[in-house]
Amino acid sequence: MTALVVAALSAREVSRRRTALLLVITLPLWFYLVRRDQTGQSVRMLTLGIGWAVSTLTLFVVNASRGVDPRLRLSGASTAAVIGGRLLAMTGGGVILALGYWVLTALDQDLDRPAAVALIMVLAAVLAAPLGGLVAALLPRELEGALALLSICAVQMLADPAGLVAKLMPFWSAREIGTYAIDATAPDYLWRGLAHAAVTWLICAGGTWAIFAWRLRLPRYPEP
Amino acid sequence: MTGWDSRFETELLRLGVQPGRARQLAEETAQQAAECAAAPDSLFGPAHLYARHLLSELKTAAVPLGGAKGPVRLRLTGVGKRYRRRTVLDGVNLTVRAGEVAAIVGANGCGKSTLLRICAGLTRPTSGSVQRTRRVGFVPQDAGTADWLTADEHFTLFGAAAGMAPRRARSTGEHLAARLAWRPTKSQPTQHLSGGTRQKLNLVLGELHAPDLLLLDEPYQGFDQGTYLDFWQQVHSWRDAGRAVVVVTHLLHDLQHVDHVHDLGAAQ
Amino acid sequence: MVVSRPWLHGFLDLCLLAMLREKPDYGYGLAQRLAAAGVADVPGGTLYPALLRLEQQGLAEPSWGPSESGPRRKYYAVTPAGRAELDTQVSEWQRFRTGIDALIVAGAENPR
Repeated sequence: MTALVVAALSAREVSRRRTALLLVITLPLWFYLVRRDQTGQSVRMLTLGIGWAVSTLTLFVVNASRGVDPRLRLSGASTAAVIGGRLLAMTGGGVILALGYWVLTALDQDLDRPAAVALIMVLAAVLAAPLGGLVAALLPRELEGALALLSICAVQMLADPAGLVAKLMPFWSAREIGTYAIDATAPDYLWRGLAHAAVTWLICAGGTWAIFAWRLRLPRYPEP
Repeated sequence: MTGWDSRFETELLRLGVQPGRARQLAEETAQQAAECAAAPDSLFGPAHLYARHLLSELKTAAVPLGGAKGPVRLRLTGVGKRYRRRTVLDGVNLTVRAGEVAAIVGANGCGKSTLLRICAGLTRPTSGSVQRTRRVGFVPQDAGTADWLTADEHFTLFGAAAGMAPRRARSTGEHLAARLAWRPTKSQPTQHLSGGTRQKLNLVLGELHAPDLLLLDEPYQGFDQGTYLDFWQQVHSWRDAGRAVVVVTHLLHDLQHVDHVHDLGAAQ
Repeated sequence: MVVSRPWLHGFLDLCLLAMLREKPDYGYGLAQRLAAAGVADVPGGTLYPALLRLEQQGLAEPSWGPSESGPRRKYYAVTPAGRAELDTQVSEWQRFRTGIDALIVAGAENPR
């Protein structure tokens, strides 16, 4: 209940920041347009763009509420409700964004496996929200957090997909399922990707929750 | 039982009344309405507001007017705080009872705000012990609100944290705002409010869940003279309603309004 | 005359205890007696909390009684502690009234 109210109001808060929202929505578009002539490259870039946009937005939303959250805790909310609500809102918004871009690619490109393309875009959004939350938890200042996300996305983009470094990056699953979706490979790419996504999500969401549970912990003062 | 009675009982429970007593008060209130042959909401107003009103009326009696003292709401014993090698607070003792207002004064940088955060539980003391009532409201000096949300949305958000339904939280918030001579405008984000109005919002948010202990950190910044007086009147009505209040201040003429003054002295 | 609420608040306990010393009564009856005496129209949201407070302080003692029609009623009777409190408040009231009377009379006798 509390988590849903937090989620609804977080969404409303973001929706009022028109310019920032517009920039977040258009960010993946530039990624897509640069390699529009190549289906595989454009879809992969677009997916990474969605991940970057949603994680950065989550970073800012979580950081912006640092003053409010301790007071919500004092009023009686649990950390899971406060942080979970914000991640829920960002995940929901991210999924809508991803589905919008999927419609664009489905119309603009010749996709062999459109459902798998939808899956990677949605996965990118779903992973991005807790990733942004985790970075916000580790790096409380916005500039540091934004630079860290930039580094993660750059490494993800440039690393050799078969190498270890790429596998340690959060959006490797999107890349792996992307190969299944675009190059029509065997389904083991799909399963590996889903497993990677599940582990990544658990690490990011669990890490975010654990750090905030510690940071927003309240002592049990005895009654006088 | 009608909807009003059960809403009334639920609100009493939420405000910390024992279940048996809440049931008894709800039944008596229903019976009072029946003997007046009136609907409860026309006789007493909205259930959640009357629950607050009744409790504050009853608590007035719990704090005897002359001599005797109310129960302790906050007790600090030998509280100290060090950041690495810098000592911010050392050996602070403070006791605040129900129906009392305590002021914390001292030079800039002497740790007033740190002490208040320790009372709230947002900062941990490095030494000493804190005893505190469970229901506490904290009003920070600045921040503590979301720039892009309206006042009503803040009431909803903070109400949800305390387990209140959105509509009830909004009407309680508007009721408390009216006591500070403020009528929140719809659709105006907090960032467009003046500093004084934002502080009023901060105060209402600290009080929304009817805490027994209020911790206020220089809460009147940006208030004009009239609002400043409204603020102290509000503090006195909290005191008369049996709440304990701790105010951090640097204004000496505030001290005429309080029961205790705790001077933290010069900056450490 | 309609007494403004802060004033009434100070004297409501006094009025209630005085009426209860005359005879035990229930909430609505007390409200009617206050109105009939021309003191004030006390809203239920002010009257009933005050009665509960008197009960809680041990100044008034409740008992349930039947009514000719409708639900049973909660009758209040003044306790010995209530009588003592009433005596104190009455002497305070008389001192207060004497003071105000003196101010009024002084103004009436020597108008400028």
